[in-house]
Amino acid sequence: MALTDDMIAMLSAGVAHQVGACTNAGRPVVCRGLAAQHEAGRLLVILSSESGFEVLDAIRQNGNIALNITLPANYRSMSFVGNDAIVRGSGAAWRPLVTERHEAFRLQLNRFGFPPEYTDAWYHARDEDLVAIRFTPMVARNQTPGPGTGNAITLKPIEFEK
Amino acid sequence: MSAVFDDGLSLFGVRRMMEGVVPPVLCTASADRVPNVSYLSLCEYVDPLHIALSYQFFNRSRENVLATRRAALTLDDPYTGAGVVLQLEYQRTETAGPVFERLRAKLMGVASHVGMDTVFHLRGADIYRVLEMRRVPGRKEFPAAAPRVDLAANSRLLSERMAHCDDLSDLLDTLLGGLSELLRIDHAMVWLADASQQALTLLASRGYEVGGAGAEMSVGEGLVGTAVREGVPVRVGHMMKMATYARAVRDSVGESGLTAMLTNEIPLPGLKEPRSQLAVPLRARGRVLGALFVESLHDQYFGYDDEDALMLLGGQFAVAMSLMQPPEQEPPGQVAARPAAPVDAGPPLRLKRFGRDNSVFLDDVYLIRGVAGAILWKLVSEFLRSGRREFTNRELRLAPELRLPDVQDNLEVRLLLLQRRLAEQNACIQLQKAGRGRMRLNVQGTVIMENES
Repeated sequence: MALTDDMIAMLSAGVAHQVGACTNAGRPVVCRGLAAQHEAGRLLVILSSESGFEVLDAIRQNGNIALNITLPANYRSMSFVGNDAIVRGSGAAWRPLVTERHEAFRLQLNRFGFPPEYTDAWYHARDEDLVAIRFTPMVARNQTPGPGTGNAITLKPIEFEK
Repeated sequence: MSAVFDDGLSLFGVRRMMEGVVPPVLCTASADRVPNVSYLSLCEYVDPLHIALSYQFFNRSRENVLATRRAALTLDDPYTGAGVVLQLEYQRTETAGPVFERLRAKLMGVASHVGMDTVFHLRGADIYRVLEMRRVPGRKEFPAAAPRVDLAANSRLLSERMAHCDDLSDLLDTLLGGLSELLRIDHAMVWLADASQQALTLLASRGYEVGGAGAEMSVGEGLVGTAVREGVPVRVGHMMKMATYARAVRDSVGESGLTAMLTNEIPLPGLKEPRSQLAVPLRARGRVLGALFVESLHDQYFGYDDEDALMLLGGQFAVAMSLMQPPEQEPPGQVAARPAAPVDAGPPLRLKRFGRDNSVFLDDVYLIRGVAGAILWKLVSEFLRSGRREFTNRELRLAPELRLPDVQDNLEVRLLLLQRRLAEQNACIQLQKAGRGRMRLNVQGTVIMENES
């Protein structure tokens, strides 16, 4: 399944990213993500291998992943779940995307009075620690606070080139 | 089990990360290891090994937790950018009691802050044992801004000042003045609980347009009432649009749950638009004697450290208040034997009492009720009968018609309340101290007494 245009737009709007996984031993793990991008029906997620080492280990074990994105401006929140996540690619190539997402996120938090140093603290990752995860979103869920939290959101079928 | 986790962390040490400035993130997984990540409204410190998380909706997270009893949680420091990750084991869900009430009060603040006050409803406080905790590596942390004041040092200073007080009035003024001067808490009230009537009476306030001494409300669902009922501090950190915890505006009292007594016409003091509020119980001798309530015009003005400081100061105040029985200086007979004094000239005053609750009105203006009302009635009655103006605390304490609940319901407190209420009203009847354990009644005018059952 693929993301809707609305979902894709939200990815670049300055969202906070949270990446969850679970080890084969049943240990849930979570870390902050740095960027996400839609790539032809798949989701690309960038995180720091230093702060996200537990999540990376769990994903390597079973490929299960949940990505939550939340826009501070309106608390709109949704998550994407996949079971084919792979950890592949790292390094400075992801820096432009991370910088772009960081800038958008910083603007979001500024309106709540958080100084730039605050998001800098979260986005402080060395180039060599930037790691890419790719997965196919199988399920999308509404996570906006309220009674509808956890309800499925419709994804659109992937359109292959003819 | 040790209460010190990896990196030398303790739950106590990361309490400020639970303030909700940055929402906690919860990760759970189904039995077949499919993860789910969501934001939580609230996390609350319970003890060195346990935390409570808000349970509002039956959603995927809860389904997972009930199936596996495991969760991971991240907390972010709102001041330094630091973060911690916790591994949790679900223990139980509480739907009543101190932890639930503290969480519920906080939730109301958060809910109104995000415009969700009609949606948010606390179903329970999920209690988790913390199995592991570690610092998030790789963060570029920055120094936290200087605290508002040095809470520990200044609280100690205030405590020392209070320890020198040998008079309840002085003690009260020292506490309220010290909160402002030393802790930069400019809006405060001291409420007294009347256990027999389940009511709260305002003893004194500071930082408001009206003093409100003698104002009453029921021990209900409000911040003060909850702190008294549960014996725990209750705090909210955001502007509240919802009336549930806004106790200042009388118009909303009926809706709020802080139901004011019908006989009470004394205006309640309070900020019109409070951004932060904290109520701590005044505990002594195993009882909750009342509550200290503080508020601010700023968001998140009070933290866990303020709770700690005010709990200590409030406890000291409560113990001192309950012990302040001044030595009797003069046997009652000596005072009673004094010659009657003539009544002061002035317009006639109509003092009316309703016997069912001892509420007393002066020229149809509500003055006071309860024990304080009964005291006023007795003093004026005796004054009119014998002309006597001076009275001892001892004779009041022994007076059967006053029906003082017990020794801990301190007579001094009731006298102080009465004295301040009369002074605030600028009434033609005033009560003044006349030495240790003695008071003097001043009446300007002729008093006509009416007693109604």
